[in-house]
Amino acid sequence: MAERPDRWIGVALDRQIKPGSSNPAIVGGYAIAVWRPETGPANVWEDRCPHRGMRLSFGFVRDGRLRCIYHGWGYEPGGHCAFIPAHPDLAPPKTICANVYPSEERYGIVWTNLCETPNAHLPDVGDDQGWQSIRSVYVKRPIAAVKGGVASFDWGGGRAEEIEDGVAFVRSDTAGLSLLIAIQPVDESKTGLHVVAKGDGAKDAKGRLAWATRLERLRDAIEAQS
Amino acid sequence: MAVTTDRAALNEWVACGWPEKIAPGGGYRTVLLGQEIEVHRIAANSFEAFERNDRGELGRKLPVQIKYCCIFTTLGEPTRPLPKIPEFEEPDRRITACGSVGVHTSPFRIIENFLDMAHFSFVHTDILGAPERTEVLAYKTEHRKDVDEIWAVDCQFYQPAASKASKGGQMTHYAYRVMSPFSVMLYKNVFDDPARNDAICLFVQPVGETECLAHMPLALIDRESALTSIVDFQQTIFAQDRVILENQRPALLPLDPTIELPTRADASSIAFRRWLKAKNFQFGVYEKKAA
Repeated sequence: MAERPDRWIGVALDRQIKPGSSNPAIVGGYAIAVWRPETGPANVWEDRCPHRGMRLSFGFVRDGRLRCIYHGWGYEPGGHCAFIPAHPDLAPPKTICANVYPSEERYGIVWTNLCETPNAHLPDVGDDQGWQSIRSVYVKRPIAAVKGGVASFDWGGGRAEEIEDGVAFVRSDTAGLSLLIAIQPVDESKTGLHVVAKGDGAKDAKGRLAWATRLERLRDAIEAQS
Repeated sequence: MAVTTDRAALNEWVACGWPEKIAPGGGYRTVLLGQEIEVHRIAANSFEAFERNDRGELGRKLPVQIKYCCIFTTLGEPTRPLPKIPEFEEPDRRITACGSVGVHTSPFRIIENFLDMAHFSFVHTDILGAPERTEVLAYKTEHRKDVDEIWAVDCQFYQPAASKASKGGQMTHYAYRVMSPFSVMLYKNVFDDPARNDAICLFVQPVGETECLAHMPLALIDRESALTSIVDFQQTIFAQDRVILENQRPALLPLDPTIELPTRADASSIAFRRWLKAKNFQFGVYEKKAA
């Protein structure tokens, strides 16, 4: 598996992580569970229950806790196991804790940093307000090829500039919007793109749909290269 | 797939198929601990097994035993006989071959899942466990040194539909028995009769370290249920378990108790892992890589 560099990686669009759901993703070969309580921010954990190794992305959410599907162990958003159904009267030891990664939601994207000693700051393109989700696409190519494709793509007259490792920003005056593109290394052969937009050109659903379609063309173009 | 070099694994008897599934004169190929083998039924009650190499040539002849509806063989030198399961000799029992299911995980994950009561309410909801009755009461584990078996006794769990013969919920009494690292069985009292029990076996054929065939012979007290409905019941349960088994990480079983944290209900799993560690099992076991 890849090293875990100290940087924030976009792993999903906010709206894809529904309240009360747990969802699988892979980042640099590492399996993660992205889950959200009924209310509140998304959490990013290692996709493994510390009890018997079951993937927590198969889990269910009840009363603000992520419950493992295998034995129903209930974890608080901080990672601590608060409930073991086999022993309902037992207060679980503090040592039972899911492996929690830092997570933040900004610009409509869920970000995480898998580094063991994370210090990097979140990507900053100004005000968090007003960003609209366009869509996520997954490209069957390694991240280097996808970065190249993003850089050479025609973004409505604008060009993508990599403002951080794995984060590209586009400003298109013609289209009347800015785009933020989070590039997620999935594994050696697959890469995700999570795209949000802001500006007049992203205000109506029809315009956003046109951009979503354009992202499919970008994916097809990158995959068509040998 | 390379053949394992783990003597502890090679020296076990392993179930590798069903005699009833082969016509006299017929045969089949399968894989055991990474070694391809070929099994022949040369007459009604006579079976032979051979190793088969990459060029398709038959090599060394392997010992064969037919017992408990299964064909057993070994690639090594077993240090003990097949386990004694007298229930299969009792005349009023339904001896049922419930078929084999392929599972991509370590054989020991399958054994542990079979020993586990705490998952009933979540994985076998409204059948082997109820969502509102999840408690696992204290039970005892024993290492029976005379036969080198791990037992879990005095187990009980509330079950809405304990078997095909059930007509309602009951507190089911269980005893679990690990006869070898690849074979396990349970006794559970039949519906409304604490004096008699069903005997359910799970013989795991380790194809490779994370690929198995699970064979399920039963010796039941059930005169009424149709054979197909008994098989359906067991296969439904196993299909629910398979979703879990193929999504545990790592697939290999960690023996180091700091990698996966147990609780009291896992007493049988703890005993099983210690027993494997004492046997110095390498095959199917997770070793934490040095940093």
